[in-house]
Amino acid sequence: MRKRSDEERAVKDRGTLETLLVTGEKKQSKANMMPGPTSILFVLLGTTIVLLIVVLARASLTATPAGKILVFLVFFVLPVLCGFWGLNEHLERSKQTAFCLSCHIMQPYGESLYASDPTYIPAAHFQNHRIPPDEACYTCHTDYAMYGTIHVKLHGLRHIYMQYFGTPMNPIRLYDPYNNRECLHCHAGARSFENDTHMALLDQIKSNQLSCVSSGCHDTIHNAAAIGNVKIWRPQE
Amino acid sequence: MNAGESKVSLSFRLSGILLVAGLCVEAVSLHWVHPIAFLAFFVIGGVLLAAGVLLYLSSLLLHHSSSNPNDTPSH
Repeated sequence: MRKRSDEERAVKDRGTLETLLVTGEKKQSKANMMPGPTSILFVLLGTTIVLLIVVLARASLTATPAGKILVFLVFFVLPVLCGFWGLNEHLERSKQTAFCLSCHIMQPYGESLYASDPTYIPAAHFQNHRIPPDEACYTCHTDYAMYGTIHVKLHGLRHIYMQYFGTPMNPIRLYDPYNNRECLHCHAGARSFENDTHMALLDQIKSNQLSCVSSGCHDTIHNAAAIGNVKIWRPQE
Repeated sequence: MNAGESKVSLSFRLSGILLVAGLCVEAVSLHWVHPIAFLAFFVIGGVLLAAGVLLYLSSLLLHHSSSNPNDTPSH
């Protein structure tokens, strides 16, 4: 009985979150009507496929020197270009909020972005566009250090493996304590950060002796376990 | 057409088919923002593309060696 009510709640939550994300994507697609790199990649993919089929159907093309150059372009240069461009495109897409929240286990964390409660730090950042809403997870959970993006992407591959071939940890925990560096990446030097409390503790904050999120200062983060009891903000159409 | 040339032609055609399949997988995966799309691109599309390119390069080498049988290194 309890399992069934959990499942019903999960379906309801999923519906709410998908509606919110779709609304956000529609707004974004309206704002971005210009053909982007993805459109160019699709054209390149289509052209390469057509040229490959033409060369396969007319092998006599390979007899001339110009034909040999064409074959080299179509069989080597263009596929390699398409492959690397596609990889880059997929890596860029993996930064999207919708990508992170497509796994079921992330649903409550996605819901927490819409919590109508300013003490929820991710919600305050997401709803007020202090972070890019379409890259909300990545912006706060990337590693702002050298090779940080690669580090995070490798973690992402591990998450995909655990989601589909293993057992994801429940509740989710960070690999390491949250580093103040990720907060200071944006907040350091900001006028709103320059208050007496922050300035008095700046050295401890910078050295991670005092955590921004777990020292009692800004400690309501996703709070996924309690998100079912929080009022949800719905963006205006 | 001798046996060497037919082998070259076969590997050339096979590499073309692998490349078309890999590019089709890539095109389909790019329509979807989801971890499975990334996996499909990386595991299926990537393997097909890599196999196609490597087979094409090996068919070039095969073609070179079959068209120049006297080019064997001297000892």
